Amino acid sequence: MLHPMLTCKQVSNALSKEDYEKLSPLKRFFLKLHVKLCIFCGKFNRQVMESQDMCRCYHEHEEELNSQRPKLDEGKKDELKKLLVSQTED
Amino acid sequence: MIMEQTEPKVPITPPEQWVDLYGDYLYGFAMSRLRNPDAAADCVQDTFLAGIKALDRFDGSRDIKFWLRGIMRNKIVDQIRKSIKENKVDIEAEDEAILESFWFKYSGIVTTNPDPWQFNPRKSYDNGEFWKVFETCIDQVKNPARQAFVLRVLEDQTTEEVCKVMDIKPNYLWVLLHRARSQLKTLLEQNWLNSDNK
Repeated sequence: MLHPMLTCKQVSNALSKEDYEKLSPLKRFFLKLHVKLCIFCGKFNRQVMESQDMCRCYHEHEEELNSQRPKLDEGKKDELKKLLVSQTED
Repeated sequence: MIMEQTEPKVPITPPEQWVDLYGDYLYGFAMSRLRNPDAAADCVQDTFLAGIKALDRFDGSRDIKFWLRGIMRNKIVDQIRKSIKENKVDIEAEDEAILESFWFKYSGIVTTNPDPWQFNPRKSYDNGEFWKVFETCIDQVKNPARQAFVLRVLEDQTTEEVCKVMDIKPNYLWVLLHRARSQLKTLLEQNWLNSDNK
C-alpha cells in the first residue's frame, strides 16, 4: 500500500529509477504533490522531473535530427559493404 | 482459409544494402551518443554483424532500420564500457563531500537550492532548432557525467546496468546525473539564449 506522505528519499529514489511518467497515476500524483509542498527537496526534485520531461521530448524529435548528424565516411562504407557481403556468403 | 500471418509484415532488406540504407542513420545515432568517430564506426560495424547473425530472429513487426537501432543500443553500451575500462571513473573531492553530506544521506537530494531556469525551455519544445542546440549541449557535458547521462537517460538502461558498466554505486550515479543535468542546464542557457533561432 502506498503511503500518501512520501519522504524526500522515496521521491528521489523513485525518480532515480524511472521516468516519473512511467509510474502509476497514483504514485505520480503523490510525487507531484510532494515536490509542490516540500520546502527541502521540492525544487531539486522538480528540476529532475522537468529534465525527464525534456529528455522525453528530445526522444520524440530525435528522428528529425538525424538527417543533420554526421555521415559515415565513404571509405568506411565500402569497407563495411565488403565485410557484409563476405559474411552473408557463408 | 489461408493464413497469411506467417509472412513478415515488413520485408527483410538484404544485408548487402544495409550500408547504403542505414549506414548514415545508425552512424548519426552512434555519434550523438559516443562523440568519437572511430568508436561510432565500430559501433555500426558491430551492429551490422550482430544483425546478420540474428536475422532469423527478425519478426518483421517493425522496420528493420529500427530493429537494427535496437541492436545498436547494446553496442553503444559496449563502447562506453570499453572507454570506462581505459579511463576509470574516479569520485572527485567535491562529489565525495556531497556523498558524505547529511542532506544527501538523509534525503537523496544533492542541493536544496538549485538555480532556477533563466528561461522556460518548455516554450521551445516545438522548435526543431532547440533540439539541435540541445544535442550540441549534451556533447559538451564532461565525462563521466555525460556517459552516465547517455546510458541512463538516452539509452534507457536500468540503474543496476549503468552502475555495472561504469563500476560505480547507485548513489554516485545519482550525483553524476545531477552533474549532467546542471551542466546541461547551464549550457542550454548560454547557447539557446544567445542563438538567433529562439
